[in-house]
Amino acid sequence: MARYGMVMNVHACLGCRACMAACSQWNQTPFWAEDFKGKWRTRVTEIEEGKFPEIKRHFFPTICMHCVNPPCASVCPTEATYINKDGVVLIDYDLCLGCGYCIEACPYDARYEYELDDLKKDEFYFGEDARHHQAHVDKCTFCVDRLEEGLEPSCAATCVGHTRIFGDLDDPNSEVAKLVNTGEAKPLGNYMGTKPKVYYIK
Amino acid sequence: MDLVQQQLWGWNIATYLFFGGLGGATLALGILAELRFNLNKWFGILTSLLGLAIISFGLIWLVIDLINPLRFLLAFWIAGIGHSWIARGMVVITGSYIFGVLYAIAAFFGSTTFKKWMGYIAMFCGFGVTTYTGLLLNANVGVPFWHTPALPILFTVSALSTGCALLMLILAAMKSDEAEHYFHFVEGFDILLISLELLIIFAYLDFARLGNAAVMKSAHLLMGNPLFTIGFVVLGLITPLILEAFASVKHSAKGLAGVASILVLIGGFLLRYLITWAGVFQYPHGIAG
Repeated sequence: MARYGMVMNVHACLGCRACMAACSQWNQTPFWAEDFKGKWRTRVTEIEEGKFPEIKRHFFPTICMHCVNPPCASVCPTEATYINKDGVVLIDYDLCLGCGYCIEACPYDARYEYELDDLKKDEFYFGEDARHHQAHVDKCTFCVDRLEEGLEPSCAATCVGHTRIFGDLDDPNSEVAKLVNTGEAKPLGNYMGTKPKVYYIK
Repeated sequence: MDLVQQQLWGWNIATYLFFGGLGGATLALGILAELRFNLNKWFGILTSLLGLAIISFGLIWLVIDLINPLRFLLAFWIAGIGHSWIARGMVVITGSYIFGVLYAIAAFFGSTTFKKWMGYIAMFCGFGVTTYTGLLLNANVGVPFWHTPALPILFTVSALSTGCALLMLILAAMKSDEAEHYFHFVEGFDILLISLELLIIFAYLDFARLGNAAVMKSAHLLMGNPLFTIGFVVLGLITPLILEAFASVKHSAKGLAGVASILVLIGGFLLRYLITWAGVFQYPHGIAG
């Protein structure tokens, strides 16, 4: 039993999008859609702030927040969305009706539709290794299969700038727990009562 | 802070929301007519079956909207009944089918007590279908314009109003005294419902005018769309209200009430579409989030 969480140090993100590449390769998400806004489990978005000449450009990584009180799970009619013993919000693809209610309910834009066309592409690119076999709603799993092998999620493992810091929030010696417990890292949209387990240093 | 207009739910969902509400209201009001207003058994049987047929037509659009429509049977896997409005909706829809058909069978064979109880349960389920469509949208916390208790009330009132409109069209073509009596009841009820709808829309937009950024954007989208201002508010609410109020004092003005009914039905559909269309997400992403 752990309580996995992630801290995003926005200042350290250089916008290389290696996390998006690593995630989409490992999890076979629709990178073939060829746009940076569509079907990704994690995204890095460019943000411009300020007014010329005092203008700043940031890169803002987003991911499923693995909420303690996830709105997506609270609207799922079949309980396909559930929270596992380590606090990771997951989807049971066999139970997913594909109604998209969770996509509408998620206030963090973390979910997308893995459609029939995407299944074909997945099989085309990955052949026998294809991991998606039915249409479903898809989202970040914190690479739950990698966690079982003692590895970090692929985005955190590949992050060049040490933006994505992953660990057990219950372990007071972990880097994430220290950043969160000191209040340096804060969750997004906490006013919605979702209690996210992904925190941001901004 | 990102304000993003939702794209996922469009015509398909709006069509379902409209026909679901209309079917549920037709079922409930049709059975009410037979049980309480002495209309004959065929009126009860036909309106309850018509209501179920309308719900079925709406459900087709809901199934089409699934990522894989062939997986629709999973909708009966209602494990999420404790929290999800889709699961609860499936229960009331299934209840409408079961008790609506049982009511029609009992009415056909003239079994009074059984018919009465099946009728009341079917009415409850039909009313449930009209109500849950608004609660369904209401549960989306990320879209502040939907996440307000006004929405389920608005959708329920509007669904009952469209149900009244459809029944008025049917009753206008009938010639019995009971039909005449129920016609005037439904007409009066519809005037009350449309007035309430105007009040709710006014309060809703006034709330949105002062609300947070996403709600304000939703209100701007609606107010800037002639389909809403002219199509829904003027032609779908105010015009039928005036026509029905006028028709209610003139006993031979069923034609006017008929025109009003058609406008109410079009307005009801526009309302569903526009409210879903105007949903704006307020993503807390960004440095200031």
